[in-house]
Amino acid sequence: MKDRQCELIRRELDELPLNEDLSAAAAEHLQSCAACREFRRQQTKLRQIVGSLGTVNAPPDFDFRLRARLAADSQPSGTRYWSFAVKGLATAAILVVVGVGGAVVWQRGHQPVTVAEGPGVHTQEVGETPPPPPTVAPKVTPVVVFNNEPRHKPQPPLVIKPKRTLTSADFSSEGANVVSITRPALNKSTVFPIEASLQSVKVSLDDGRGNARTISFPPVSFGSQRVLTTANQFAPKGNW
Amino acid sequence: MNTLTTIDELAFAPALQQDTLEDTTSDHALLEATRSGDQDAFAELVSRYRNQITSYIYRMTSDYDGAVDLAQETFVRVYRARDRYQRSYAFSTYIYRIATNLAISELRKRKRRKLVSLTGFFQPTDGGEAKELNPPDQRPLQDSELVDAERRNAVQRAIGTLPEKYRAPLILRDVDGRSYDEIAAILETSEGTVKSRISRARGFLREKMRAYL
Repeated sequence: MKDRQCELIRRELDELPLNEDLSAAAAEHLQSCAACREFRRQQTKLRQIVGSLGTVNAPPDFDFRLRARLAADSQPSGTRYWSFAVKGLATAAILVVVGVGGAVVWQRGHQPVTVAEGPGVHTQEVGETPPPPPTVAPKVTPVVVFNNEPRHKPQPPLVIKPKRTLTSADFSSEGANVVSITRPALNKSTVFPIEASLQSVKVSLDDGRGNARTISFPPVSFGSQRVLTTANQFAPKGNW
Repeated sequence: MNTLTTIDELAFAPALQQDTLEDTTSDHALLEATRSGDQDAFAELVSRYRNQITSYIYRMTSDYDGAVDLAQETFVRVYRARDRYQRSYAFSTYIYRIATNLAISELRKRKRRKLVSLTGFFQPTDGGEAKELNPPDQRPLQDSELVDAERRNAVQRAIGTLPEKYRAPLILRDVDGRSYDEIAAILETSEGTVKSRISRARGFLREKMRAYL
């Protein structure tokens, strides 16, 4: 019974404004109920504290910012359209540039590697002997194997070099010229008649991305091509 | 320019002018003037409500900068909808309703974002009672102003932990001093519900603020 009355009184205390007087019944109840008195005290204090929070003022530039916001909001539709159009065109231009760039990169990645033609395979003439029928070297066809892995990690194309081809001549059935220090060669030259090409063979490779590499093969040397003088301690003795 | 045609008008001119002046300064009249393109009338409305709305949203969100932004958004929405405004209820109710919806929307966005708050570390994940990160310092302070400031901070923090459905009516009632029927109109609910929610909100606060009571 008393709990029910306390509940009613507390509800009244809850709804009553702070500065208003209690009803007679509530005042009478409070005199006899310590719990409700304590409730009222706490409730009043709490509401005073909450009420003391007061008003937080807007910043001084509130009106200015609001006016700017409203002005931006009420732009004429034509201006908005052009603003949108300019943004759209800019976006489209960026997309086109990116697309073209991507296509160029893709195209370069798929371009086959070109091998620059180097000097041909030379046959040698020994002395005045008729040149043996030159063995035709097999046509060198560089094989380019493309890497089919995803393009995000490009790798240089793999070039399989052909096996080195040898040019040979059979001199076993012909008499060889004798070349010695005391009896120079028929052409009175102190130079051995062996005409090895002094030029190095250069092969230029392009990997398709603008990187060119030149591989230089030095000429094969069988030793000094000039007759050494006898004064030379390292000169060969007798027939060479 | 108006011209007087009778002696009666001359006699009652000041009174008529006063009536006209009062009418033109009501919120409804200002909004009517705004509708017809009077920018000064809208500026007057803004100056009347900017502090109230900013303060209300700040109490709801505990974020001053965000509250200023939302208060501006409130006025922008009022301005945009000036042609659709109906005088069926008070302008203050109308603008507070917009502000409440924006504040609650912001609170829900934050909840969705699951912002990492410092107090969040101390809140149980099972929905139990939250623990206070910054418990009140029980030591006596020298200056009564410091005591008041600490108390206000504690209240603001405690209000911030209330569920939004309790927070809005409590602020409108105990901070802004609005009537129950006006709060019911703002929150679009019944007066009984408002009273019940305010009572529950005070109960929560009493528990949290026990050290200060």
